[in-house]
Amino acid sequence: MEPYVLSNAVAVGLLAGLLWALVSARRSRVWRDAGRELLRRRPIALTVFLAYVAIGLLDSLTWVSASSGGTPQGDSVSLHKPRSTIDRLFPDESYREKSYSAPLADREFLGGAPLRHPGRHLLGTDILGRDVVYQTLKGARVALLVGGFTTLIAIPLALLFGVAAGYFGGRIDDAVFFLISTLASMPSLLLLIALIMALGRGPAQVCLALGITGWVSFARVVRGETLKLRELDYVHAARALGASDLRIVLRHIVPNLMHLVVIAFVLTFSGLVLSEAVLSWLGIGIDGSWGRMIDQARDELSREPIIWWNLVSASVALFGLILAVNLLGDAVRDILDPRTLRERA
Amino acid sequence: MTSARGGLRAGLFLLAALTACTNDPYPAADAGKKLLYLTFDEPPKTLDPQVAYSTIDHLVIGNVYDTLLEYAYLKRPYTLIPGLAMQVPTPQVLPNGKVSYRFRLRDDLLFQDDPAFALDGEGSKTRQVRAQDVAFSLARIADPEVNSPVFETLAKIDGLREFSERLTKLRAEDPRFAQRRIDEQYALAGPIPGVRVAGPLELEIVLSESYPQILYWFAMPFTTPVPWEGVARYDGREGRDLFSEHPTGTGPWKLVDYDKRLRIALRRNPNWYGIRHPEWRAPGATYPETGESGDAAAGRLSPSVVGRALPFLEGIEFRREKESIPAFAKFLQGYYDASGIIKESFDRVIRNGELSPEMAAQGMSLSKSVLPATYYLGFNMDDPVVGREAGEQGRKLREAMSLAIDSKEYTRLFTNDRGIPAQSPIPLGIFGYEEDYRNPYRQVDLDRARALLREAGYPGGIDPKTGAPLKLSFDSPDTSAAALLQYQFFVDAWRKIGLDVSIAATSYNQFQDKIRRGAYQIFQWGWVADYPDPENFLFLLWTPMGRTHGGGPNTANFSDPRYDELFLEMKALGNGERRLELIREMRAILERERPWIELFHPESYLLTQAWLHNEKSPGLSIPTAKYLDINAEQRAELRSAWNRPIRWPAYAAAGLSVLLIVPGILTYLRERQ
Repeated sequence: MEPYVLSNAVAVGLLAGLLWALVSARRSRVWRDAGRELLRRRPIALTVFLAYVAIGLLDSLTWVSASSGGTPQGDSVSLHKPRSTIDRLFPDESYREKSYSAPLADREFLGGAPLRHPGRHLLGTDILGRDVVYQTLKGARVALLVGGFTTLIAIPLALLFGVAAGYFGGRIDDAVFFLISTLASMPSLLLLIALIMALGRGPAQVCLALGITGWVSFARVVRGETLKLRELDYVHAARALGASDLRIVLRHIVPNLMHLVVIAFVLTFSGLVLSEAVLSWLGIGIDGSWGRMIDQARDELSREPIIWWNLVSASVALFGLILAVNLLGDAVRDILDPRTLRERA
Repeated sequence: MTSARGGLRAGLFLLAALTACTNDPYPAADAGKKLLYLTFDEPPKTLDPQVAYSTIDHLVIGNVYDTLLEYAYLKRPYTLIPGLAMQVPTPQVLPNGKVSYRFRLRDDLLFQDDPAFALDGEGSKTRQVRAQDVAFSLARIADPEVNSPVFETLAKIDGLREFSERLTKLRAEDPRFAQRRIDEQYALAGPIPGVRVAGPLELEIVLSESYPQILYWFAMPFTTPVPWEGVARYDGREGRDLFSEHPTGTGPWKLVDYDKRLRIALRRNPNWYGIRHPEWRAPGATYPETGESGDAAAGRLSPSVVGRALPFLEGIEFRREKESIPAFAKFLQGYYDASGIIKESFDRVIRNGELSPEMAAQGMSLSKSVLPATYYLGFNMDDPVVGREAGEQGRKLREAMSLAIDSKEYTRLFTNDRGIPAQSPIPLGIFGYEEDYRNPYRQVDLDRARALLREAGYPGGIDPKTGAPLKLSFDSPDTSAAALLQYQFFVDAWRKIGLDVSIAATSYNQFQDKIRRGAYQIFQWGWVADYPDPENFLFLLWTPMGRTHGGGPNTANFSDPRYDELFLEMKALGNGERRLELIREMRAILERERPWIELFHPESYLLTQAWLHNEKSPGLSIPTAKYLDINAEQRAELRSAWNRPIRWPAYAAAGLSVLLIVPGILTYLRERQ
């Protein structure tokens, strides 16, 4: 199987999972109300976030269309490569320059030769003449991938360890807490670098490394909450009726942790996107990410005259996503956290 | 009343201090002296001439230790002239097939004054340089405890390796032997047949095979005469220095201050033969009378220096500058005499390859020199797709890929146009470089590249086996964003002819592992000359230097019997008509076989101040300070003109504070009434 088929399947799977979660949340009154409240409080942040998701999705579904006849001349390589809608919107034939050009310029930045496609580059071109708008849009998918995929690794891990420690207590609690303390006592950046060196470079490896280092703090919260929940009357009642541990955990504990999961998801997300940018800056990030763009542009800032458009585009795109997600995260916490609920009431 | 006078006095004192203040970082006593001011960012690792191999090490050592041979200052291609030796020796083939070189040292050469020579007798401050001292250096190179990086190369000297083994064995067998003085150890380990001291000043070097390039090694500090007294005394014990930090040399300069964190200071060595015997008019101690065509125009052949005895300067001051931006700022203020161009200011300093008008108005000049170095892309010739096995198909593929790479554009984007496109492995300034030679496969011609791909069986870049563009991999040990952009440039160029090259950037260790296993296709590499001989470049493609099997620097694993044959003949010849013929034939093989895509020969830009004369960038790391001259009065004038203190902000601030205080005092007086 071609790798791009797999990545398409993953993208579709994630999308389906998200839709399923939304649909099933609509059935519960609490979640439906929370959704409405979120839309009421943060309409702009929500729209911005959804716009990023839409761009990421457009860029995630790729297909090959080589059947357009054997054209040996021109760019036959990209014809044989799986390309997304975004790739198809910016073909090399009509967007590629030779080198730097300023936003909307009609001449090259170095030397001043006329551009092939003057005035077409809204945000200019980079050192190899690639359109910066295109590269910035491509970054959205990587950011969402890092944020989304990694939380999908970190949160189940945190739930597994947190609930096990909180519910069973004793030796298991000791063991899990030992693990958590050990991981937490290592400088996370060093651990990340070591993991990536061991696992190798690549998007999946970076996500895995971020996931392995990212579950610890949430696992603590889950453990604490579970400790509280297992002493509640309905859990005692379930145990008295002879329910198995597994059933109690799945029916009574985990569903009552879901609001924490949603809060953690949103808050971890932005942290992870930023972590990836830091890793890119250290040279071990993911190709095509905004962090990588910033890393490539760091020498350009000290040039005279200054080349700012690469850095600014990537930074603004990164900033927009993080700000939107953080605003949403705050709102979600306000809405779902029982303590703030009580304060509001 | 008294307090008011005191305040006035303090104010006057402050004013005086303001007027006298300057940003001059050097002691006032040095102001009028002919000292050369340069920078270093990382201190030398060692000053041991047998060990030092990096540029900054040689910057100091080369000035402190003289060599038997030297390079003519102005001549290109580089030519050897006698230094401490009377003449450049010619090889003699001995009846047993070995090759002998006879060096005769100049009479009456002295080491610099040093307390170490007290080992020869009470009160002795220096000693004559003898052939034995060169033999001692060569023995040190063979000494495993010295760990010289050039032992393998110089092991061509007859018996050097055996000497090294004997020494190791004796030290291991007898702990008392290892305690003996170092020159006694070498004497007891026995003579080296290839290093024969034929008289106090006569030295014969015998090589077990022909290797004309050996002479270049006698122009490097590795083979400089070293007194055993220095090595024996400076052992780092009982408060004594280490020999690696306390040179005892023969050169025009001696080290007077060695503070690695701040300052390295050299002053004239009064014992140098050029200073003691200007009447000898020795080639290494006299300014040359002829040069290249451009030298007169650049002011390097003015009548005031030509034929005069060296050195012109009183000393050299190296100051540590860890950060490039402040170092460059101090250069612009006139506190350094020469500087490279920092990336941040490149576009301000250079316009269209020339010095910008503002800089030229300050009297600075730009000296460009093409370095004896070659950057290239290489193919792994052991690879089944791009390499030898693919036969005609592989050759045409390599030729097509070579035709797609635009070196000019590459240097424009990534090196600020510093570099000239390379046509063959041999760079400018090395014998065998021909300016009008054009490699037909190093011109950009995409149509011809596509035609060649079609002939190779990849029409439009399509691999018939998969029906998709041919997939190749570009292997690299550098994962930095800057490097990846540069590789992307090549990938994009090959994409234009329909090839699908992907960048496999791994960590250095993983890359080394790939190289060991031979699992790589295309790579980028560069080579800087150790010495100015075509052999030093052409050996990079010689079969015995193969990387995967021999661990040598022939990373392309290129192997061609005819090339090897020509190489062996070329290597043993002196520069001449026959040698040029051989080089041309080898070049033709490389042109056709394309194991390399030659990219460019880098160019270095050096800015020099108006008062610095005779500067000519050597490219190789060889000492040139003795040829330089400085107009110290002009420097002092310009320095003070460029650094007039701007006083008004200080006065303005003082005025402002008075304005702020006066109302307070007035209020206070009013309140008191």
